[in-house]
Amino acid sequence: MDTRRLIARDDLLATLDRASARKVTVISAPAGSGKTSLLHAWAGRPGQPRRLAVLQVQRDQDDAQQFWLALLSAVRHASARTGHAEPLAATPDFNAPAMVDRMQSELADACGGFTLVIDDLHELNSPEALAQLTGLLTNLPPNAHAVVATRRDLPLRLHQLRLAGELAEIRAADLRFSGHETRELLDISGIRLSEAGAALLHQRTEGWAAGLRLAVISLADHPDPEQFIAEFSGSERTVAEYLVAEMLERQPGEVQQLLLRTSLLDRVNGELADLLTGHVGSERILLSLEDASAFVVSLDPERTWFRYHHLFADLLRLELRRVLPEEVPALHRRAAGWFVQHGQAADAIQHTQAAGDWPDAARLLADHSFGLTMDGQGQTVGALLQAFPPGADYPELALVRAARSLARGRLDEAAAHLAVAEAYAETTPPDRRRRLEVAIASLMLRLAARRGHLAGVTEQARFLASPVTGQSDEDIALGNDLRAVALMNLGTVEASVGLPDAERHLEEGTLLAREIGRPYLEVRCLAQLGFAWRIRSFATARRRCQEAIALAERHGWAAEWFIAPALITLAGTMAWTGEFDKAERWRQRTVQALQADTGTDVRLLVHIVSGMLQAVRGRRHEALQEFSTAEYLGSKLADSHALASQVTGWMVATQARLGRSGEARALLAALDDERASSGEIRNADAVICLAEGDPAGALGAVRDVLGGTAPVIGYVTLVETHLLAGFAHRQLGNLRAANQAAERALALAESDRLVLPFAMTGSRELLEALPRHETAHAALLADILDVLHSSSPPTGEQPAPPDAAELSASELRVLRYLPTNLSRREIAGELCVSRNTVGSHISSIYAKLQVRDRSSAVQRARELRLLGGGPHPLARRSPHRGDAVSPADP
Amino acid sequence: MDPASARYTIRIKGHLGATVLSAFPALVSRQHGAHTVLTGLLDRSALYGVLAEIEALGLDLLELRQLAPQRTPGSGDSGM
Repeated sequence: MDTRRLIARDDLLATLDRASARKVTVISAPAGSGKTSLLHAWAGRPGQPRRLAVLQVQRDQDDAQQFWLALLSAVRHASARTGHAEPLAATPDFNAPAMVDRMQSELADACGGFTLVIDDLHELNSPEALAQLTGLLTNLPPNAHAVVATRRDLPLRLHQLRLAGELAEIRAADLRFSGHETRELLDISGIRLSEAGAALLHQRTEGWAAGLRLAVISLADHPDPEQFIAEFSGSERTVAEYLVAEMLERQPGEVQQLLLRTSLLDRVNGELADLLTGHVGSERILLSLEDASAFVVSLDPERTWFRYHHLFADLLRLELRRVLPEEVPALHRRAAGWFVQHGQAADAIQHTQAAGDWPDAARLLADHSFGLTMDGQGQTVGALLQAFPPGADYPELALVRAARSLARGRLDEAAAHLAVAEAYAETTPPDRRRRLEVAIASLMLRLAARRGHLAGVTEQARFLASPVTGQSDEDIALGNDLRAVALMNLGTVEASVGLPDAERHLEEGTLLAREIGRPYLEVRCLAQLGFAWRIRSFATARRRCQEAIALAERHGWAAEWFIAPALITLAGTMAWTGEFDKAERWRQRTVQALQADTGTDVRLLVHIVSGMLQAVRGRRHEALQEFSTAEYLGSKLADSHALASQVTGWMVATQARLGRSGEARALLAALDDERASSGEIRNADAVICLAEGDPAGALGAVRDVLGGTAPVIGYVTLVETHLLAGFAHRQLGNLRAANQAAERALALAESDRLVLPFAMTGSRELLEALPRHETAHAALLADILDVLHSSSPPTGEQPAPPDAAELSASELRVLRYLPTNLSRREIAGELCVSRNTVGSHISSIYAKLQVRDRSSAVQRARELRLLGGGPHPLARRSPHRGDAVSPADP
Repeated sequence: MDPASARYTIRIKGHLGATVLSAFPALVSRQHGAHTVLTGLLDRSALYGVLAEIEALGLDLLELRQLAPQRTPGSGDSGM
């Protein structure tokens, strides 16, 4: 298929082969030096023993996430592992270190030698991405080798590799064609030229690959090649300009027109070229151009999309602007129209900007910024925003700016932009106003959620749940994006204040997101759904959480902050059903995923679950601390949250169980009447009475709860109430009543197989006293007693740590840095060893712990209690005890 | 950082034709032997823009000089 005449440059190929014995090869040479052709020849050579992933960096790539996703997808494609995972999807929240970790493990998993080829790396404009890439290149797994090609030396900090002899470099001088190679190229292209002519050509082009290839195109059907060479070498014009002009001149008019008019596109297909030239048949021309030269390259195996060699395209663009300046804006406008129609918003906006249609570009950007952000192109949105002329005022952009401020946590700035957007929306025609209002309300909800100011927000935003009406397909698509985001934001806020509509709105959001192919939104809605269901049904909550987590894992988002609500809710449901160890693992995964952007209500739930898990293990001091933190976080929310009385109740009860009834009473006395009459607080009151040896008082405290008049969060409160009543009866010597109370608790707990209330209240004796023939819930009873036996307060110490002798002392030292945010380089700095050393320790830690990435290594290490030994290097962030991690402070 | 513009001369190998010259609208060109000399008043970002164009077009940059008669010799470029 590829009939471009590339000569086999054996010496260079051998140089590349030799270089691949080292870790990294950098090819640094100016435009047109033949870097890409060399890589093609090397990669496509028969018998290439290593697997190859090839990425050509997109022109002017500003977006770190797009770069990494493209690289990861190239790696997956090459390792033929596409079957096992969902297509890679971007998220609005790019987690760069996780991505680098993922790349490393993908490379390490690809069995056998693996070569990563990154061409045109100079097009990557993101300094963060370059820094992350440096990290990857210096820590490549042993089986991997990387080749990067660039026009100029980049700030890749590879001196360590150079010092270690692991860096090979190929530069312009190495790439120049020799006289012999020039001759070979002419021969293979069927050009008859005298020795003198060939020598002259070599001399004139100085062996510059692009010059030779351009010359070959013109020479191929030239009636007098010697004459051509004589004129060329007699001219003082620069090589590229001379030869491109010659080449264009020799093309038929339709080809010239096509090349000039489509030069302003980064990539072109037949349809788009037809549109810009006003003629049909462009695809055929593009195909034959690709066959005839190395300057037109197809981008896909089907050969529908093409791009021009950058240097060639740049010269064509200049020529277009010079000879047809008045057509340029119109061409951009036509291209923009095509990209809009084909849903390629970023290209459409770019061309609209290039046409100088700034107000249109602003409108397009406002319309598509939600979708682009959801597609993980937030940085592209930023670059497009920057491209508007400074000082000019386009009110449409206020909405885009508000969303960006919000994403960066600049809440006041976001509010100011939203105010501008609101004022502007009122001046727009009704159909457009509706869409703007939905976008504004959706952002207002996010802002309110971030600030914890939830009162009244949902009423104002209720209209979000109805569809945005539009006429065209494009309107409907935009409306769907917007509506899915709006439903998610609305449902999220409703879930955090415990409104029942949350479930309906989030269900709808989940379905819509699935329908329109937005897995990110689907995961977020599902995660919130689990969270919303946590109060009403454990089974549903658990199922929703598991769905959310499974979907997130398929997309590689298992450790992202937005999955945290599902992780912690799952931990919570497991705690309720007595699966304490599993609950602890999910809680730890939540802690890993938590970020500033995770809502306060999720952090709060993390502390509640921690408190529950401490309490059931008899660690009352620790439990009290967790409940108190939860209480504090709850008090910072403007509205009381759904579990407020539960948290307060457990905090007070834990005080009492610690023998601090005075303090517990004081806390109760400070509550308002409404709160004090809730079932959860009545239970706490009963716990105090029992601790004070006043069982009759305890029965009095819970009378309204048992009578059904006290408001409760859910039936789980009642399970606890019956158990407390059972204790009181027992203390009063009324064993029959105690048994009846225990039986009622069991009956209530049966459907969800709850264990937690029995563990929290320490009901082992109460249950053991219950004669087996008196209970209809023998199986559940046996299960509960099993759990209580294995988890009941260890009298002495925690279980002894398993043998950690497998890990060497230096591996343990590195291991203890893994829970921190420090990069491998920074860990190396802390330990005064090289990054390679840290890298190899980490690889062997992963192997010994049988894990694949950093977060699961940390999790496993925590389970094995390997993190607690000795003073920790970062004591403030880390546990003093082996198994407890204090989540980041609020 | 010097915010003011300065006059630069940029020497490039070969003769630039109309197409390539259109990439440097702010500069005046003249041919000097087998070279082209571009001259113009540029501030720093314009200068780097010109250098990026030279790179993108695969031109051979021979010399870059700031003409700064009011400065003491040796102060070189405008970098501070």
